[in-house]
Amino acid sequence: MAFPWVPVLVGVAVVILVFWVIGLYNKFVRLENRIDNAWAQIDVQLQRRGELIPNLMETVKGYMKHERETLESVTNARAALMKATDPASKMAAEGILEQALGRLFAVAEAYPDLKANTNFLQLQDELTHTENKIAFTRQHYNDSVLAYNNAVEQFPANLVAKATGRQEKAMLEVPEETKAVPKVQF
Amino acid sequence: MDERWLLEDQIRHNRRATVWLFVVVFAVLWGLVLSVGILLGYPPVLTAGFALVFGVVYLLTASGFSVEAILRSARARPANPQVRQEKLLLYKVEELALAAGIPVPKTYVTPSRDLNAFATGRKPEEGVIAVTQGALDALDQEELEGVLAHEMSHILNQDIRVQTYAIALIGIIAMIAEMVWWGMIFGRGGDRRGGDPRVQLVLFVVALAFIILAPLLSRLVYMAISRNREYLADASGARLTRNPDGLARALTKIAGTEPKESHRGDRTVASLYLANPFKRVRKANLWSTHPPIDERIRRLGRM
Repeated sequence: MAFPWVPVLVGVAVVILVFWVIGLYNKFVRLENRIDNAWAQIDVQLQRRGELIPNLMETVKGYMKHERETLESVTNARAALMKATDPASKMAAEGILEQALGRLFAVAEAYPDLKANTNFLQLQDELTHTENKIAFTRQHYNDSVLAYNNAVEQFPANLVAKATGRQEKAMLEVPEETKAVPKVQF
Repeated sequence: MDERWLLEDQIRHNRRATVWLFVVVFAVLWGLVLSVGILLGYPPVLTAGFALVFGVVYLLTASGFSVEAILRSARARPANPQVRQEKLLLYKVEELALAAGIPVPKTYVTPSRDLNAFATGRKPEEGVIAVTQGALDALDQEELEGVLAHEMSHILNQDIRVQTYAIALIGIIAMIAEMVWWGMIFGRGGDRRGGDPRVQLVLFVVALAFIILAPLLSRLVYMAISRNREYLADASGARLTRNPDGLARALTKIAGTEPKESHRGDRTVASLYLANPFKRVRKANLWSTHPPIDERIRRLGRM
């Protein structure tokens, strides 16, 4: 009896195909987890910002009696952030908060006593730190989304992606209004 | 190459270049082994097998270098979050680790007045970044961020591993070349199984030249790898911060200084530093671990 070439070759091809699909599937899962993890990191930072702001208000209150509007805009932005639920609206609220804080810190330049307050300095450092962390993690988030989208959209991997109900994800955009540097008037 | 490179392209280009440099080192190593076989008249298969076992053992032992010893020789201490300057340093490292998506490296400060920084650690999960006091004092936040991103990239690109293996390979090549010298002085010399004496002579001369040149060549290739990794770290660092300007400005500041004190640590660590800790490189130099600072600044400006 001749060697059964056809069944063996078909069998080998099927096995290779199965391993390819498994490999792709795991790659998708890994890339998705990376995105989820990046978002979780951002969320932690947003939470931390929300916690820091009451302290900041407490510290600033005594010095900046005539800046009610500036202080209120920070408080309101914080409230909006704490209420937001989905990533897009959280990031939008964060954009507004960032702007309001920027204005507050700029105004604070005019209060030498406040600037000398170690508590204020520390809060300012930490708020800048959380802001940078959010910016850098958003960058990592978007890089991860790009890698995921490339994996999901390229042929022939897109066939497996479609079959498992995967489609491209949206990046976290920087809201237009926060890109502009806030103008401060003394 | 005047058009602006995409960062991704530059990184890919650098990676490929490193792979090629390694291929060359390996080719040199095997050429050396073959030459040894011809010179000593041993069957090449035997020599090659011996060198393989030897090489693997050597690479394994070489990768067990001590992070602690490197830190100790630089007199590094962990950054102190109670000092604002160092707290901001810790913040920056944490931020950049988030950008890179790697665990936060341990951060150290060395007492040197020099403007420099280095990264070490066996793998990205155990990364270490050390910054000199001089750099902390002289650089603003943006410049410091650029420097830290460069060091972060060394960790990210696993340069420390590349470095270690490259050094190990050079060690092997130098050692084999030395063994052959002794073998030729005390050994059986050039007499073996006959054949055309002219062919024998040519083979002998070629093998001899190779043995003399191999350690030199591998050293050059290592330096080229090191310079290449510096460009790579500059490029991927700029990709992390999205701001090539910070590092460019820091390098400009560094270019204006001279190393302030003699570094005690051994020279193999030199290639881990941001800028050559022994002397400032101004012109392209085949024997340097670091590319000229001006060229690095020029390339950053093109991004």
